[in-house]
Amino acid sequence: MASIKINDVAKQFGALRVIDKLSLEVKDGEFLVLLGPSGCGKSTLLRILAGLEPVTEGEITIDGRRVEQEPPGKRDIAFVFQSYALYPHLTVEQNIAFPLVMKRFRWWMHLPVVGRIMRRRIERDPDLKRTVGDVARILGLTGLMNRLPRTLSGGQRQRVALGRAMVRQPAVFLMDEPLSNLDAKLRTSMRAEIARLHTRLGGTFVYVTHDQVEAMTMGTRIALMRGGVIQQIGTPRELFQNPANIFVARFIGTPPMNLIKAEMNLGTLRVGEASYDWPGAPGHAGSTSVILGVRPGGLSINSRPSPQSTPGVVSLVEHLGTHSIVGVQLDNVEIQKDADQDDDSIMISVNGYSALQVGQRVHVSVDTSGGVLFDAGTGDRMISIASSEHVDFSPTTHKTLGRHV
Amino acid sequence: MRREWLFILGVLVILGLIIFPFYWMLVTATTPADQLMAKVPRLTPSLSHFSVFVEVFSAVPIGTWLRNSAIVAGGTTILCIGLSIFPAYALSRFRFRGKAMLALGLFVTQMLPEAMLLVPLYALFRSFDLLNTLTGLILVNAAFGVPIVTWILKGAIDGIPIDIEEAARIDNCNRFDIVMAIALPLVAPTLAATAVIAFFHGWNEYLFAQTFINSANFYPASVGIAGLVGEYAVPIHLVMSAGIIYTLPAIIFFLIAQRYVVSGLTAGSVKG
Repeated sequence: MASIKINDVAKQFGALRVIDKLSLEVKDGEFLVLLGPSGCGKSTLLRILAGLEPVTEGEITIDGRRVEQEPPGKRDIAFVFQSYALYPHLTVEQNIAFPLVMKRFRWWMHLPVVGRIMRRRIERDPDLKRTVGDVARILGLTGLMNRLPRTLSGGQRQRVALGRAMVRQPAVFLMDEPLSNLDAKLRTSMRAEIARLHTRLGGTFVYVTHDQVEAMTMGTRIALMRGGVIQQIGTPRELFQNPANIFVARFIGTPPMNLIKAEMNLGTLRVGEASYDWPGAPGHAGSTSVILGVRPGGLSINSRPSPQSTPGVVSLVEHLGTHSIVGVQLDNVEIQKDADQDDDSIMISVNGYSALQVGQRVHVSVDTSGGVLFDAGTGDRMISIASSEHVDFSPTTHKTLGRHV
Repeated sequence: MRREWLFILGVLVILGLIIFPFYWMLVTATTPADQLMAKVPRLTPSLSHFSVFVEVFSAVPIGTWLRNSAIVAGGTTILCIGLSIFPAYALSRFRFRGKAMLALGLFVTQMLPEAMLLVPLYALFRSFDLLNTLTGLILVNAAFGVPIVTWILKGAIDGIPIDIEEAARIDNCNRFDIVMAIALPLVAPTLAATAVIAFFHGWNEYLFAQTFINSANFYPASVGIAGLVGEYAVPIHLVMSAGIIYTLPAIIFFLIAQRYVVSGLTAGSVKG
């Protein structure tokens, strides 16, 4: 149990600065997820915390103790690798016991015969055996104790890796994409298992992933990173509902938040041909370019035109069982595209099985209660209805979610 | 089917080329001295003359020679491996100034013919009182063995996933612990292979032993057996029987070491 403070940490590889002046605090017992695309510096940050990479500058404090100059073994942390990194020549039991054996290890125990005898003695110690046995029981590894890692399945190996981390009862658990090598079904069950472990052990967890579903389901807080900079840190709900900028908006959620270019004028938001009242908006005169962020569930599809709807053509229909994703290309409306996006469609989530056909003309209206406005220049969030005090906005269009046309 | 037969035939031919000299040694060793020069040579070993392998022990001090050879080969093996592990690890894992030069330097030592170094080494050994000692032979053999063993071990250590070492660092291991407790067990097959190389290097070495050893007490078997071939008489059956006895310990050592030369030991430690 420990809190972590990272203060102005920077990391440079040659001329490349991958993390620049990053500060972050992880509270005692928290499950913090470091989320971000590949190359955003999240794994580097975790490795810096572990002591596997030296910091270029800055301070790291774990449980009130400065650790940035300490070797990994002295930081009271455990690390779970993406590749499991089990010791292939040791059995499951020896793998799990390894950190405890090394705690009592002396250099002369490397000597051929005497060392072997002493190592056996440590391994047979009843206290150590009990601890290892307890960990194995929690993880369901009791029947596999004498097996070598190469005879185990991916999920079993990952559990051994977790066991090796748990056995030392560290203050902090660091996990570097521990589930990304597992198949989808196993990943779901291991996700729940790790979340249960967190509740059971009560330690401080820092978990790196690029998978937003893992982040949303496991983390008590998420720090979303890009280019070595934390874009937003908050609860999964905060990141989902109130993204700090358009990067966060597009990164969290599947499909991501739609970003629609709009004009704001005296509390009225114009999206193509539709206009909406936007309470709490700056009332100054003159038109301002903004980007309206709205989740696929915050849009509805109508068959008839109305002042609050924008016409468009269905460009995509995906049936996902419980709901369908409908892509619509709106007339005279520009959307803010990602670098790798070549399609102008916005994505709309419709409950159940949508009968819409590609090419069909529809009218789309926005439920602005969940909408977020971003500055068209900087991409940062301006006003959110969800966080606004007076939510009196009532769109005149009826929501078609669940009653698709 | 025809291809298969061709393959088997090919294997048999190659096997015959390798095994025939040993077979001929056996035939010659067991042929009575008077029949050695017969016009039609014997093609099969004579079972009644296997006593030559007992006779050879009383005729020549082959026991002492074999003991000397074993000391030289064993010492060379231990020294070679002991001196190579840490340089191999350093060359594999550390980045330091002059690393490439050092690695190249190790290679260059392999390009120098041993005969070229004979005279300077003789002078050196005389100064250090190493002439006529087995220690001297061990040192000189190890000096030639260490570079090649280092290179082979470096290659094996390169193959250990770095994650495993990082996991060991997290588990409170220092570099020495990592080399001894993680790297060495994982390169055990290569270690066994290099032990075979070093052992054979020491066991078979002739040039340095012939030059540096004058006393018959310190002859290794390679020099001792060669010494049987005199100017006026060549007891060929003794030479051959001693030769067979000389190869046996080496084969036994190889068979023991071979058990450890197993592949796929690192499989399953990290996701491939």
